[in-house]
Amino acid sequence: MTVIHDSIKKDRDAKMIARDVSVFYGAKKAIDEVSIDIAPDYVTAFIGPSGCGKSTFLRCFNRMNDTIPVAKVTGCIELDGEDIHSSNMDVVQLRARVGMVFQKPNPFPKSIYDNIAYGPKIHGLGEKKADLDAIVERSLTRAGLWGEVKDRLDESGTALSGGQQQRLCIARAIAVDPEVILMDEPASALDPIATAKIEELIDELSGRYAIVIVTHSMQQAARVSQRTAFFHLGKMVEYGPTDDIFTNPIEERTQDYITGRYG
Amino acid sequence: MSSTPATIHDAHGGPAADAGTSVIGSFGHTRTPEFEKRLQKRYRKERNFKRMGQGAILFSVAVLIFLLGNMLINGVGGFQRAELAVPIDFPESGLVGDETSLTASSAVQVLELQGLPEIVQFYAEEALGEEGAAQLSRDAWRDVAAALQGDPSLIERTHTFNLAASSDLASGLSGEGSAEMQALAQRLEERGVLSEKFDGGFLSRSDATSPQQVGIWGALKGSILTMIITLALAFPVGVLSALYLEEYAPRNRWTDLIEVSINNLAAVPSIIFGLLGLAVFLTIFPNFRSAPLIGGLTLALMTMPVIVISGRNAIKAVPPSIRDGALAVGASPLQVVFHHVLPLALPGMLTGTIIGMARALGETAPLLLIGMRAFVATPPDGFTSPATVLPVQIFLWSDEIDRGFVERTSAAIVILLLFLLLMNSFAIYLRNKFEKTW
Repeated sequence: MTVIHDSIKKDRDAKMIARDVSVFYGAKKAIDEVSIDIAPDYVTAFIGPSGCGKSTFLRCFNRMNDTIPVAKVTGCIELDGEDIHSSNMDVVQLRARVGMVFQKPNPFPKSIYDNIAYGPKIHGLGEKKADLDAIVERSLTRAGLWGEVKDRLDESGTALSGGQQQRLCIARAIAVDPEVILMDEPASALDPIATAKIEELIDELSGRYAIVIVTHSMQQAARVSQRTAFFHLGKMVEYGPTDDIFTNPIEERTQDYITGRYG
Repeated sequence: MSSTPATIHDAHGGPAADAGTSVIGSFGHTRTPEFEKRLQKRYRKERNFKRMGQGAILFSVAVLIFLLGNMLINGVGGFQRAELAVPIDFPESGLVGDETSLTASSAVQVLELQGLPEIVQFYAEEALGEEGAAQLSRDAWRDVAAALQGDPSLIERTHTFNLAASSDLASGLSGEGSAEMQALAQRLEERGVLSEKFDGGFLSRSDATSPQQVGIWGALKGSILTMIITLALAFPVGVLSALYLEEYAPRNRWTDLIEVSINNLAAVPSIIFGLLGLAVFLTIFPNFRSAPLIGGLTLALMTMPVIVISGRNAIKAVPPSIRDGALAVGASPLQVVFHHVLPLALPGMLTGTIIGMARALGETAPLLLIGMRAFVATPPDGFTSPATVLPVQIFLWSDEIDRGFVERTSAAIVILLLFLLLMNSFAIYLRNKFEKTW
């Protein structure tokens, strides 16, 4: 049984909603009938112990689970009221509207410029070189990387440091101007300083984009998010304002996890 | 979770609180003679392993040097031939001709009608004696005619031609053959009219019955044409198969079956492919016996599985995170393949292609079966004219009785190895060009 705090039931106009979503890996049920509303102007954090299915659930929102042959998703997910599994929602278009940043920085082995320009190019957003240049500069600026790389846009994206690579990946995601950004433990492979920069960046980006972040660090969830959902064993246990989840959880399991009794 | 740090704290903090010596005491188990002995043993094993590896490398390098050295030493002789010097005084001979008539296409017939064969014979007897002139090839005048065609001004003066000696005389010169010939060769050599000269024509002539007249160009051109067909067919088909099997094909019993079949195909002896070529291609194209087209098709069948297997491995080695990254910005599966997977897998695919093509270049058995062992005295005009290839030419020459063919065979092997080297260097250049790091 999922507990949803009363205070967020007032939230209106969810950007994305999931209803009774289950994910199966073959016969194994990794996510069990989860329903959630993602608010457009908040950062929503998914927390929970390893293997609880929070990353799997995140990947449902841009249909990245399609790439895993054995994975099967049931239930309904809507983006602005449109079913993302319906036939008139193209998966390529969906991923242009719902961007994703992965756990391990994965820049393309191309130049910094091409890393950013790739998305806009394949979607035909920048017909002219000047348009692309503008997109690259804007995206890198928003990702807080422009000052560090503006003189070496021709260098390979893989030559950057880990933290810079992750910000490059965030810049790559925002270059196609998405409405939602999914982040799958974006700072778990980074050192504390790089992590702080990423968190700062998430803070700056919130409001402009709906952000959903999966994290195993409760401090991180508390620092960057306004809404937190706690997952355990494939079920969403509790969902509410971050402050309430951390200071005043309703469910005992949430309380146990937050106080470090397991996980 | 909470008990582990406490234990570490005890291990460090406890002894450190005592006197300094007991700090060493806490590492005491690594200072025992037994431990030292085990350590020595480990290092010894590592040294031995390193030596074994070095020995293996040394052995293979030695074998390679022996092989190449042997070929080169024997092959040098193959690039030379015994030639007789014959001065011909054209103004005196009464041969007429000018630039236009000598460069015309009928020049050889005109010269023959004017008695060039007899003129060459006459001057040869004058320079070499009757016995020596008899060792001049009967077709030597054709070389003279060719020289006149190349440089018509020769007809206005005396010119010394180096004409191929007969193979009997050539073996006499190298100290083999009959005593009679050896004596003649010695006499002619002392007079300075017989010597071993670099034979540039070896690279531009084709197969012949006499080792003095053979050349490698016909076989080399045949090999090049065959390789073009093989590459043009095997590379795209192999790469597309690999891409489809890795990126698109569903994992089921059929794809498993295809995978097993491809692996088996790569292990099928090459002569079986020759039989296949004979049974299938020559039935469809009966007029193209001995043609590079059929040879290339047959070798392409043989090369394709190698390219598919190496291609699939190269695709598997592309990190999934790159695919995810491209998909997440909205690339379609086709764009993921062509913008990201293929460029990253290409170096590995090229490596497989090099291996497959090198094997195809050296292949003899299947080509024997589809008739590429015929005696072909003219270089092939195109993909459908009769041809032979380098390894088959080597095989044919090594089978000849005439001693002169031994060195020619080595020379042909040197050419084959050089061709292989050239091909591989080009492929390695391409591979390094496309190689990317991530």
